Amino acid sequence: MAELLEALFYRPNFVVFVTLFLWGVYIMLIHPNFVKKLIGLYIVQTSVLFFLVAYSAKSGATVPILPPDTTTVDAAQYANPLPHVLTLTAIVVQVATLGVSLALVSAIYRKYGSLEEHEVLERIE
Amino acid sequence: MSEHLPVFLFLVPFVTAVSLPIVGTRHPTWCRPLALGSVSLMSVLAIINVSVVAAHGEIRYAFGGWAAPLGIEWVDDGLAAIVILTVSLLALISLIYGEGDAGTARKQSPALYFTLILLLISALTGIALAADLFNVFVFLEVAALTSYALVGAAGGRALVSAFRYLILGSFGASLYLLGVSHLYVATGTLNMADVASRLPDLMTSSSVVSGFIFLFLGLSIKMALIPLHGWLPDAYSDAPGAVSPILASSVTKVALVAWLRIMFSVVGPGTEVGHVPVLELLDVLGIIAAVAGGVLALTQTDIKRMFAYGGISHVGLILIGASMGNATGFAGGVFYLINDAVMQAALFILAGAALHYYGARTLDDLRRVRDRSPWMTGGLVVAMMSMIGLPPTGGFFGKWNIVLGALQAESYAAVAAVVLSTLLTLAYFVKLLGCLFQRAPSSADAPVEVPMTLSVSLGVLSAAMIGLGLMSDPIISFFLEFAHRGGM
Repeated sequence: MAELLEALFYRPNFVVFVTLFLWGVYIMLIHPNFVKKLIGLYIVQTSVLFFLVAYSAKSGATVPILPPDTTTVDAAQYANPLPHVLTLTAIVVQVATLGVSLALVSAIYRKYGSLEEHEVLERIE
Repeated sequence: MSEHLPVFLFLVPFVTAVSLPIVGTRHPTWCRPLALGSVSLMSVLAIINVSVVAAHGEIRYAFGGWAAPLGIEWVDDGLAAIVILTVSLLALISLIYGEGDAGTARKQSPALYFTLILLLISALTGIALAADLFNVFVFLEVAALTSYALVGAAGGRALVSAFRYLILGSFGASLYLLGVSHLYVATGTLNMADVASRLPDLMTSSSVVSGFIFLFLGLSIKMALIPLHGWLPDAYSDAPGAVSPILASSVTKVALVAWLRIMFSVVGPGTEVGHVPVLELLDVLGIIAAVAGGVLALTQTDIKRMFAYGGISHVGLILIGASMGNATGFAGGVFYLINDAVMQAALFILAGAALHYYGARTLDDLRRVRDRSPWMTGGLVVAMMSMIGLPPTGGFFGKWNIVLGALQAESYAAVAAVVLSTLLTLAYFVKLLGCLFQRAPSSADAPVEVPMTLSVSLGVLSAAMIGLGLMSDPIISFFLEFAHRGGM
């Protein structure tokens, strides 16, 4: 138990990721409100991005741009750009998902006049 | 020229999709011919692609001239070529059928409707071709987003089904991305071949193990593997009649193809990930899905939902075939996947047409149908034969090879599951036919007139189901060769 706690203490990033992820899943499962479910989904997606960014962080590194007068490249000095590019693409996907989902939610609201899942399901019957 | 084929396969529907909203606002009547033309062109290219791949082997395409581990790579091999051919031909048939069964969405904004369908097709092509884990994620999401919008286009209760589909689908995509990040953290690369070359020493690393678990969970939501199938029956039964054939035939199958590719080109057949033999685990999951899907289909009263559960049970059958670890089972599984795509398209076209022309949504509604169309009854009988697996339809040869593979692997539980799922399929089709033929047609009733589009699409699909059976030998030996080259 003490070892586990110690391991967690040295990995605050990981603790934050797990907390955010589970929190988002909890909101998605529990809340009957459609918009709140979306917020839960957004938190889950963001937590995955956080995981990716947290692992690609490198202390003392700089942006991977070479000045024109560089002769030798020391890879240890530069941050790895790939995870950040992945994150950027994943954010774009996330925004597109959010757009489609909000369009669906607003269509549901216009049709059934409610955002609560049980009320909408009652009106469908 | 032929080395650029994979990209053209993707670009043809994609460019049309992007230009349709611009052209369509000014000339709404051009949308349908443009969409049909672009999918036809894509089908022709897909046929050329299959023959090129069969003659010269796989095409590897490096984007922007950046070679494999650094750049994004597409691999156009036998599996991808055949899957793309199936997707494009089925999309063409669904578009032809869709004209007769045009819902409100299609009439209100034809440009946007065709844009979504073409984007879906191009994204499915991308998933089949991509040899890069992150590239697969992006295309999975494009395919998923268009599917949500297409399901929701029916309006009414379909909006809620689409929303649930969106929540579960996006959650699956997040899990997939999490899996990809785990693998990236462990191996430092995203290219499938490159990951595969670095994995053997890392198979017990907890990062790799959890990476594969997340990846598989994400893809199982997308392929509707029981017990993660919750979104599928509602989404497909509430989707517009013109859309559900293309969704049901392609989306889950292509997610399954993505998993097969990861399974066989990244993990490698017969490998243990963290001391767990992956293939045995998949075998068990496939058995559960095949039997449970059949049982659930038998309990349905809604026709579309019954067919949807039938498709879920077939995902299990394909997984059983692919997880036998020998070439026969793999070839049978992939051949069954192609068959299943055709069968699902035919069944959902039939269910959509039953709703449109008979007004029948449930089995009880079917009992009241008096004037049956010979086209639809004929199509149903052929589709039923293929679903149950009677020769000479393709379904028989797929199941036959899956069973042969299972016997070769001495996995008798898998054989029993295939037989049991076949019996369950027979049971729910008997239930369906019992309702349809309960009332004898009186001679005074003329059969329902169905439009050309429906009879053509049903005729082509029925011919395809029988043709796949008659042509099964060359196709299965093509996949056998593919599996042998993959090291099985």
